Amino acid sequence: MSAPLTSAAPAGTPAGAAAPWPVRLRDVVVRYPNGVVALDGVSLDIAAGEMVAVVGLSGSGKSSLIRTLNGLVPVTSGTVEVGGHDVTAARGRALRALRGEVGMIFQGFNLAGRATVLQNVLVGRVAHAPAWRTLLGAHTAADTAVAAEALDRVGMLDRAWHRAAHLSGGQQQRVAIARALAQQPRAVLADEPVASLDPPTAHGVMADLRRINRDLGITVLVNLHLLDLAREYGTRLIGLRAGQVVYDGSAADASDRVFEDIYGRSIRPDDVLGT
Amino acid sequence: MSAVLPARPAAPRPAAVLPARPAGRWRVVVGWAVVLGITALTLVPGLGVEVDLGAVARSWRNGADKVVALLQPDWAFFPRTVAPLLETLQMAVIATAVAGAVSLPLSLWAARTTNPNRLLRGAVRAVLNVVRAVPDLLYASVLVAMVGVGALPGVLALVLFDVGIVVKLVSEQLEAADTGAIEAGLAAGGTQSRVNRAVVVPDMMPGFWTQLLYVLELNVRASSVLGLVGAGGMGLLIDAVRSFYRYDQLSLIILEILVVVLVLEAVSSAVRRRLV
Repeated sequence: MSAPLTSAAPAGTPAGAAAPWPVRLRDVVVRYPNGVVALDGVSLDIAAGEMVAVVGLSGSGKSSLIRTLNGLVPVTSGTVEVGGHDVTAARGRALRALRGEVGMIFQGFNLAGRATVLQNVLVGRVAHAPAWRTLLGAHTAADTAVAAEALDRVGMLDRAWHRAAHLSGGQQQRVAIARALAQQPRAVLADEPVASLDPPTAHGVMADLRRINRDLGITVLVNLHLLDLAREYGTRLIGLRAGQVVYDGSAADASDRVFEDIYGRSIRPDDVLGT
Repeated sequence: MSAVLPARPAAPRPAAVLPARPAGRWRVVVGWAVVLGITALTLVPGLGVEVDLGAVARSWRNGADKVVALLQPDWAFFPRTVAPLLETLQMAVIATAVAGAVSLPLSLWAARTTNPNRLLRGAVRAVLNVVRAVPDLLYASVLVAMVGVGALPGVLALVLFDVGIVVKLVSEQLEAADTGAIEAGLAAGGTQSRVNRAVVVPDMMPGFWTQLLYVLELNVRASSVLGLVGAGGMGLLIDAVRSFYRYDQLSLIILEILVVVLVLEAVSSAVRRRLV
């Protein structure tokens, strides 16, 4: 099910009104300074508004893959295009502008623990506000409204003035999702967003990501290592093994056989989250 | 058929025996070598610092008189100590405030996690190493010559002394802190300085205030010494009463500093509890 897209949304409209971005990788190689090849010739085309689950064991390169899309990990060769913009060539101001359009969610939530929930969500506005406003902490009413709207969307509005560190893990990840939403992103990248959460909370957070994709039409890429979550929440499944794409197809159709192929071993009980 | 009890364990559990301690006898040998070495360094003439225990026996009576005087504080001297004591406190507070304002950005520039620019970071650290290497009394002497006798050179000397300490401790605290929120801010398209302001500053504040309260205490102690070279505060008075051998008056001054330091410590530990 794909969401309606409104490409001509005026500035300052609620999160997600901007047109979503497609993603394109061509022969991407990432070799770290220590010689480890994380991505070994990856080419992918992801359409705007897709919900993609990227699956692989730890060390398969899925974390590197997602980080090449916003330039957190530089590519050794090949090209990465996000929304038609060349990430690999972007530097400085252009790269920051690009990152401002792409939200990111992390396994460890990555919030400023002593800052309030609202302050953390307003970090999502850094690329969209003038520097002096960030440095003085003088946010515009419009930015604060965007942050409040994002918090409301993940059901955390009543916690706006709490310190982030005082929240539970699931609540912190929701705040992190709100921070990404406050960017009014055209794509959201999530790197193992539920790996630190218990099963019910994990399903809640995955459902939030699915709503972002369905209701707002934003392109979402989620790194997962649990096959049932990938099947349930992804519409497309990309399997990585040793830095190469070994599966690319429908998530619902992916059998256990497919996962055994991606993992390079038989399925074990800890490969599923359960409920 | 009736239930059959499981067989009793045949033998009681053998007593647990610790495996042999891996370290050999060399620890003891090294320990004694260190003790003997330090003793030799202290006592053998021409080898170390030449502690002359004979001198202690010969002249301890001179000091004993002073100790007796110190035990009898001259309470009548109190009114004359009030103004210098207040000046010392003012110097300490002003120096701490100025040092805090200067140290906050410098700490962010000096830490690897908040300043990826190796050159700028190296420059800030190099300057601060020099600042820290110079003793505060030397700053005070030079500044008294430059800006004249009074509280101002004292405050400036304290600021330099404080900045060296605070930036060192706070930047180390920053480097030890989790960098996840910084990564998230950069991923959202922020510049390093904006990310520092938005996510690093809120998280670093408790540690920063703790260090500032610590240097406030240090400042009260230090500013009473700085007066010896003419840099204001209690030190001027200490120098005066000492040169007249008024150890009873000196005793009162020491008591007052002690009280101030104790009060500050109580206040700062109360504030720190609220910060955490």
